[in-house]
Amino acid sequence: MLLNSWSIALLLCGLIVLFLMGLAARSAIRVLLFWNPESDSNRQIRLENEIWLTSTLVEYALGIQIISLIVFVLAADFYSQSIAGAMCATGSLLANSFGVPALLVKIGGVFFYGFWIVLHHLDIHSEKYPLVRVKYIYLLFLIPLLVLDLALEILFITGLKPDIITSCCAVVFGDATGGGSNLLGGFTHGLSMGLFYGTAGALILLGVVLLERWQRWLGVLFSSGWLWFFLLALTVVTTEFSSYIYAMPFHKCPFCILQPEYHYIGFVIYFALFLGAFFGMSGAVVEPLRFVEGLEEGVTGYQRSAVKLSLLFLVFFVLVSSYHYWRYILIGGEG
Amino acid sequence: MNRRLTQHLNVLDYALSSLWRRRAKNLSVLVVFSWVIFLVASFQLVTQALTETAASVLRSTPEITVQKMSAGRQVEIPLDVSTRLAGIYGIQEIVPRVWGYYFDEVSGANYTVMGIAPGRMPLLDRLQLTLEEGGVYDQESHGKAVIGRSIRRTLEEKGSTLLSLFRPDLSQASFEVTGVFKPEVDILTNDLVVMNIEDARDLFAIPPAMATDLCVYVANPAEVPTIAKKIAEALPGTRVLTRSQINRTYQVVFGWRSGFASVCLLTALTAFVILAWDKASGLSPEEKREISILKILGWETADVLAVRFWEGILVSGIAFVLGCTLAYAHVVFFNASLFKPVLIGWSVIYPEFRLVPSFRLAQFLLVFSLSVLPYLAATVIPAWRSASVPADSALSGM
Repeated sequence: MLLNSWSIALLLCGLIVLFLMGLAARSAIRVLLFWNPESDSNRQIRLENEIWLTSTLVEYALGIQIISLIVFVLAADFYSQSIAGAMCATGSLLANSFGVPALLVKIGGVFFYGFWIVLHHLDIHSEKYPLVRVKYIYLLFLIPLLVLDLALEILFITGLKPDIITSCCAVVFGDATGGGSNLLGGFTHGLSMGLFYGTAGALILLGVVLLERWQRWLGVLFSSGWLWFFLLALTVVTTEFSSYIYAMPFHKCPFCILQPEYHYIGFVIYFALFLGAFFGMSGAVVEPLRFVEGLEEGVTGYQRSAVKLSLLFLVFFVLVSSYHYWRYILIGGEG
Repeated sequence: MNRRLTQHLNVLDYALSSLWRRRAKNLSVLVVFSWVIFLVASFQLVTQALTETAASVLRSTPEITVQKMSAGRQVEIPLDVSTRLAGIYGIQEIVPRVWGYYFDEVSGANYTVMGIAPGRMPLLDRLQLTLEEGGVYDQESHGKAVIGRSIRRTLEEKGSTLLSLFRPDLSQASFEVTGVFKPEVDILTNDLVVMNIEDARDLFAIPPAMATDLCVYVANPAEVPTIAKKIAEALPGTRVLTRSQINRTYQVVFGWRSGFASVCLLTALTAFVILAWDKASGLSPEEKREISILKILGWETADVLAVRFWEGILVSGIAFVLGCTLAYAHVVFFNASLFKPVLIGWSVIYPEFRLVPSFRLAQFLLVFSLSVLPYLAATVIPAWRSASVPADSALSGM
């Protein structure tokens, strides 16, 4: 299935990101080899200039990577039209063993590039650029991830054969009794709802406490809480909320909510969840940098705004994702 | 937050004025860029429209079609095979169909002649809905036909009310026209003549106990694959086509053709990216002086980069809107005359039909990632080069 517009767009995005990050890596190697803040030689001035280039390149790469993540899911949905048995993106992602890993690596990639940009902004906040080495070593570690991403994508696309029989989302995410595997098979409806709203409430409480007074262990708890909530929310949206959005009890799918039939509500839901999770988790990621000379103020400032933003997105996410469920309950449905 | 917003608005304002100052250079990029986006978007819209047309056309076709094959070619199927299918549970109706192509020497056109027994079609009431005027002929009556619009046009040109066709032995068969199909279904019916199945057999000289193929209607769509498999087992030597198979084939063919077209367009895109890179890299002495003056005034590299970023976004945004609008006009008003032959295949007798593009976010995102992203990537390095012009270079020329 390599020769169609969606595959070409995906490969093009992948190659562009690789090109941009390759250029960034070239600067990174130069910076790691020759960086000397004491010197005022021509080379040092050139390197200081190149820092701007790399940050712009990574920012562009992040933007393109986010678009390519959306294109990937939409492309999977497009492929499902020509694969026997597949009715939406789930079917084509499961059509071979590279679909789901490719998606996970892409999602992971978005978070890792984002963390790099946070590091960069903290770094340029200080006049001495204290994080230059850390930042560029991190950048070099991103390259293998990127290559893996592109490789999985190519394997996934070339492995798609229009005559392979695959499952549709109703089977994959359906009830355990339906014969398919269920991600939250062991959880009852009440338990998963309780966990979802309980965790969201706990995160809000923790966030408010953190905004009052930052405490390290609470910050770490907040961020790990977000990681747990991120995974929980993805499964709860899939197994609980999605069927209320579709108004079909057996249709449980994380991808169909991205379709125009459901007013693209999935984009709003995932956008809020991803941004919330990113800001929520990055608070703890930057915590060790507090001890770097000249960064304490920047880190504190960043953590405050990150907690604020993550709470904002959390509330928004909970409201939007559970809207259909609560509307159904309020007009007299049974939970 | 507010301060940063104001800062960005000011940068945007500056970017706009800077674009306007170099309007000749930017206009050339804009024109070429819009043209590239127009090409990519036209292809996508046409593909989407054709795929949807194919899907909507197939919605009313029978779930399963059974054709007899001999030496790899389709031949007539004896009617008595349908008794062998009677035992398969879930089949609602088996309707024999006689159809073929008729070359009209006078007008030089090919007609599709189809003979059906209207009483046995489960969707008969729908057939009536597709007629512009007149009605469906009575099931028992002979010598009557329902025709497509282009055939009526030929009849009107001839000044005749009867449709006269010739049998293989050159004897004449005349048909009274009872109804004409609506323009909305032109893609299917423009060249179509529907008549009684016995009239069609008579016209093509097909023996009475034979048909061209059998249409099998299935009550429960979920059972179609199982029933198709059972038919294939019961009737070796036949080809059993299901509707979803045909639909998938269309999807793959259109997908492949549009992919092939995209590959061809990639060359245009590459040429454009090189042009954009070149235009963006060529820093004139005035631009250099402008940037170094800005730096003396206190601008930082990041600010100049932000200006360049906004310039890129503005140029690509305008080109994107322009290109997509032109593509839409091309598909709607000019019926995609530039590309339709590539996608639907080449034929002089292809029925005329209007394409209806549908707006889906996914299509635009696809066009965006095929055109705007390469442009943005191509202008990063030149943007950085111009942003890193040192502040003192303004003084060197004085």
